[in-house]
Amino acid sequence: MMRCGLLGGAVLLGSMAGGAVLAQKPEPLPVEELSQVEALPADYPKSWVLVHDFHFNAIVDGRIAIVDTADPQAPLKGLVRAAQFANMLYAPEKREIYTSETFYSRITRGERTDAITIWDTATLQPKGEIVLPGGKRQQSVTYTGTFQFTNDHKWALVANFTPAQSVTVVDLEGRKVLGEIDLPGCTHIYPTGSRGFSSLCADGSMISLVLAADGTVASSKVIENAHDIDTQPLFGMPAMVGKTAWFVSYTGQLRGYDLSGGTARPLPGAAHVGTAEGGAPEWRPGGWQVIASDAAGLLYVLMSPNGREGSHKDGGTEVWVVDPVANRQVRRIDIGGLASSIAVTREASPALIVARPDGQIDVFSAADGSLIRKLGATAAYNPTVLTVVP
Amino acid sequence: MAGFDKFAESLARRLARGTSRRSSLAWLGMVATGAAAIPALPVARAATPQHGGGGAAGRVPVTSGSEQDPGDRTSCDYWRYCAIDGFLCSCCGGSVSKCPPGTEVSPITWIGTCTNPADGRAYVISYNDCCGSSSCGQCLCNRNEGDRPQVRPQANNDYNWCLGTESSIYNCSLAVIVGVATEDAG
Repeated sequence: MMRCGLLGGAVLLGSMAGGAVLAQKPEPLPVEELSQVEALPADYPKSWVLVHDFHFNAIVDGRIAIVDTADPQAPLKGLVRAAQFANMLYAPEKREIYTSETFYSRITRGERTDAITIWDTATLQPKGEIVLPGGKRQQSVTYTGTFQFTNDHKWALVANFTPAQSVTVVDLEGRKVLGEIDLPGCTHIYPTGSRGFSSLCADGSMISLVLAADGTVASSKVIENAHDIDTQPLFGMPAMVGKTAWFVSYTGQLRGYDLSGGTARPLPGAAHVGTAEGGAPEWRPGGWQVIASDAAGLLYVLMSPNGREGSHKDGGTEVWVVDPVANRQVRRIDIGGLASSIAVTREASPALIVARPDGQIDVFSAADGSLIRKLGATAAYNPTVLTVVP
Repeated sequence: MAGFDKFAESLARRLARGTSRRSSLAWLGMVATGAAAIPALPVARAATPQHGGGGAAGRVPVTSGSEQDPGDRTSCDYWRYCAIDGFLCSCCGGSVSKCPPGTEVSPITWIGTCTNPADGRAYVISYNDCCGSSSCGQCLCNRNEGDRPQVRPQANNDYNWCLGTESSIYNCSLAVIVGVATEDAG
């Protein structure tokens, strides 16, 4: 009652003094233009990162967040749809983003359509689509290896899983599907040579395929004993240093594969992220996107102090910087809490981008590990894969 | 483990090369449903605390009522969930062995081997997905004991296993006992 009485008094006072106050008010705000939509620069600055939001609570409504990691006031610049276990590719020279998605005519039911959508980087509007036949596109928690470029960004390769495994070859420029390559027992796509790819196979081999101009297989070669699933299982997403793919194993071994020629070439010798005190029981890589590279060829590996069997997706609290060629641990970066995915920008002063399970994104100096800024949980609910502007 | 997996992989590749897609799919289904007969699967570690997800604050525990199947089925720490990745169907209108109404159970899936703390046995658990309704959004749980890279599909929980169903839209995951690992069956 007392509160009501005071409020009533204030209203009365305001209305009595209204005329005098009105005379002193500034000019009203100007009328604004309706129907305006923001646009982005067609060429994204190197501080920008494309953050795949898996959107676990509504996977049918996944999205790609376009994020400026140098703008703590407004880091989220826009969204691109990435529906139902989608994948994303970015071609800056074409000013295009590609999403590989699955749709049902009644959202959760009805006729299934798999398609690649082509988005304009400035307007984030769709420019076209290519329907993928067969309703077989592989659906997984986000991996980069299920949707990749080849043939100088003119083609895309789409992994299929029904669970029979195959790869669909797509002519992005011609807006058409070229064909399908059966790939039993082998998984993920690692672009290899000028027009081809490699995959890791369940028998421990790697297969490299060279594609002909019509998208068919011109030649293939199996590289035996390319990886060891039992003793050194590899995280699925490598960090690229030029044309060399660097994978890290669940226990921290680093394996390099030269993908510059038509056939993948495992680099001799195995490097390791190194060791440190304080592990309980031991330090191991942990998270989702756990390995990144910088322009100088150093690797950044997200590390958990609680490494054990089954910890490989639990996230990490430090990033270890490693020179894989010298097989030397360069430094350790304390990232101040648990993170799931990391990337390093190609800015003049590169930034280590750290995405956390609760959607928080922090920016560290890649050079000295100092915290530059915190973006908060402002862009993505479940950041899985971070793609930096090359 | 290695022996079984190598056998399975070589068989899978041989089958996939020599037979139709449908045959391969049927074979994987057989692996999932016939898992009880498979000897020497990897024995996962006993459940450890501090797993993320599941058991939201204020949620009333759901138990089996049997001392031999202990634990809260809405908690990520429940012993059967040692290699699960997704929303727990026990929080979504279903149970550990039944999908929620309005969904369809996936016929093929991945399997894990979890130790029951009550009897010390290693049980083969089938993590079938329930499909056709959007993400349940309750009791997200991810544990990865025995989880291996996607190149070994039968031991990987990152795939959407809503395969062979009318709709591939993922709702939640079951944890069904399909057998006792032979080496601990006694």
